[in-house]
Amino acid sequence: MMMRHGLAMAAIAALMATTAAAETTLRRSGDLGFGGAENLDPISPTRFYEANDLIYNRLVSWGPDGLPAPELAKSWSASPDAMEWTLVLQDGVKFHDGSDFDATDVKYSLERIKDPALESPVTSVLNMIDRVEVVDPLTAKIVLSSAHADLPLLFLDYRVRMIPDGSGATIATTGIGTGPFKLETLDPEGTTVLLANDDYWQGRPKVDRVEIISIPDQEARIQALLGGQLDYSDLNGDQVATFEGNEDFVIQHYPSGDWQGLVMRTDTAPFTDARVRKALRMVVNRQEMADLVVGPGGGTPSCDHPVWAGDSYRSAIECGADIEGAKALLAEAGYADGIDIDVHTSDLEAGMVRMVEVYQQQAAPAGIRVNIVMAAPDGFWSDVWMVEPFVSTSWGQRPADQILNEAYRSGSSWNESYFADAEFDSLLDQARAELDLTKRTALYHAAQAALWERGGSLIPYHINGVRAVRAVVKGMPEAGEDYIAWHLVEKTGD
Amino acid sequence: MIRLVLRRLGSSLVTLLIVSVVIFVAVEVLPGDACTAYLGRAAKDPTILAACRENRGLSTPAIVRWVDWAAGFVQGDLGVSMKRNKPIADLVGWRFRNTVVLALTASLVGIPLALVLGVMAGLARDRPLDIALSSGAIFAMTIPDFVSATVLILVFAIGLGWTNGVVTVSANAPILDLMSNTVLPTVALTLVMVAHILRLVRTSVIDTLQSDFVTMARLKGVPFRRIVWRHVLPNSLLPSINLIGLTIAWLLGGVVVTETVFNYPGIGRLSVDAVSDRDLPLVQTIALLLASVYIGVNLLADLLALALNPRLRTYRA
Repeated sequence: MMMRHGLAMAAIAALMATTAAAETTLRRSGDLGFGGAENLDPISPTRFYEANDLIYNRLVSWGPDGLPAPELAKSWSASPDAMEWTLVLQDGVKFHDGSDFDATDVKYSLERIKDPALESPVTSVLNMIDRVEVVDPLTAKIVLSSAHADLPLLFLDYRVRMIPDGSGATIATTGIGTGPFKLETLDPEGTTVLLANDDYWQGRPKVDRVEIISIPDQEARIQALLGGQLDYSDLNGDQVATFEGNEDFVIQHYPSGDWQGLVMRTDTAPFTDARVRKALRMVVNRQEMADLVVGPGGGTPSCDHPVWAGDSYRSAIECGADIEGAKALLAEAGYADGIDIDVHTSDLEAGMVRMVEVYQQQAAPAGIRVNIVMAAPDGFWSDVWMVEPFVSTSWGQRPADQILNEAYRSGSSWNESYFADAEFDSLLDQARAELDLTKRTALYHAAQAALWERGGSLIPYHINGVRAVRAVVKGMPEAGEDYIAWHLVEKTGD
Repeated sequence: MIRLVLRRLGSSLVTLLIVSVVIFVAVEVLPGDACTAYLGRAAKDPTILAACRENRGLSTPAIVRWVDWAAGFVQGDLGVSMKRNKPIADLVGWRFRNTVVLALTASLVGIPLALVLGVMAGLARDRPLDIALSSGAIFAMTIPDFVSATVLILVFAIGLGWTNGVVTVSANAPILDLMSNTVLPTVALTLVMVAHILRLVRTSVIDTLQSDFVTMARLKGVPFRRIVWRHVLPNSLLPSINLIGLTIAWLLGGVVVTETVFNYPGIGRLSVDAVSDRDLPLVQTIALLLASVYIGVNLLADLLALALNPRLRTYRA
């Protein structure tokens, strides 16, 4: 009996040895969105996010409730005036080069974001940080120049990642982080190879190797996925059908904070009149527009509030298409015979032009005559967006406080509607200083309501992400890349 | 002959100079610059934009930048890509090699095939073989390359699983790794190439067969086989040399669509990216390289035609 038991054990051990020997490689695409300029500096304008997500950790990660959960920061607390934040760090965390992660690294990683020479787009996100003090190796105190009650939410930004103290000059190529995978070879325009970090502080990753293969063309990515050269890929709405009914793939839908929309300049006639702006926005049947532009299930309707469905501060605004209401507002503003407007758009992203075409149809019954002006995709952001009075736009997901401040606060660099509303700005200031969650939530709701009443942005829906994953890949949550715990992703076959 | 070569080389240098000026002006005239392209929407932040322009020397006048670039270029310093911040020699070098690999493979397969099939079609004029080949060629010419490329991937990579669909090796991979990934792109290019050359060769074989000297040879009782080898082939292949030259130049210039569909790391995709990045030094280098290739290949084709056709030589000025 003992003997048989021993044999079985030996067999199991041998089996485990063979499975352990078969190296598993997860293959994903690099979309080359920055045209080959990708590098491993997390805050660079051309960060290689496909690799950075796996190499570095953040201070916090996304919790299931849309709020920050501990990652490198174990816990945090704010002073009563929300001017100082104290972070307690995870102990026993090591960088890939063997050095310890501590508060000096936090100080360095956060303070370097302010360096103008780095041309970092993150600078404006964290510009309220005045300095970081090292209290002891595992405690960092962040001193702000203006109050911020939701600082940890800002640390959820996918670019705010921890690098070793003083590594700024070399981080772009060394990629030394605390994350689940270590850099083996960096080749953003070819294949970048990452290897499992055996000493990862949250446990060894379940795949041995990750290859990031650059395939800039979306069609080519789909071909590669079908041919087994990739393990998963994002899909466009029209590509979902290719994978439906195919047992080798699992299709995942997940809400995201990305949106495409239309935006008018509130400083340019006729959009200086808040009644005109609201009329132009309230004619839209948002569900119908989403179904037509991104396909059924491709979008979650929004009421021009930039805060997405997964964000705890999203306000529950209702907005059906109201043609009569729009007509009345237009008549009140002096456009009883309807209004002619030019909308500038471009083939920059899938669906952009289609959205304007749908808008043209939906707006027509209210006497809004939309003339579509096509611009070249090349140079759209520099020459058309924030220049012409009414244009197409698109945004990536951001937490409530960040998007409200970046895109709508008067004077902000990316205030695309040139929205200047003192009451709105003051709501944001109060919210940042309000430590009581209920009161803070009410303030953010009020800010979103102000945008619905007076804003210049038409945000018909937030886009749902769609991803096809090979069935052999396990542990991939139905959520954005940003939410994936990469050390838990597993591959059960090849 | 030597004088001709020297004269052509001399005029080539002037051409290259003009190309460089035209390209520079054209990219300058395009809206936006390297920094607005690099930063995207971040360029709306004036301090970030100013820092970027300062870092890349874009705040100096255009003429100064052109002179700086040209001075470096003639000394063999190709400069650094503005967007990728890597030496241009590395970026262009590997990709051009890959383009040469693809062009050579396609030419080595395609040109002999096209010649043989073209002659066969011409000799078999209006018979089933000719009809099959000619209509096949028209078919191959009229299908857009992105369609034939996609169909090839669907059938051979996804359906049958014989080979990889898209190329996933790095630009600087060893040639053998690259070649094993290049089967489908080669087939896609060969299809188009064979079609064009085949049709020209066929017409020219038919013309020659109808010429007076072939009729004469027939009347004299020369065996058909000998007529074909001695008279028809040399005379009918000559006109195709220039087309072959142009085809090779086309292949070396980068086949953007084929490269995109197969994800092939060649010069074509890089050149398109360089223009949309407003990456002037990179655009300049690629433009001059491709212009040189065009000039060189055409010169070679002319010289070859000259060498093979004694009649042309007597017209030499």
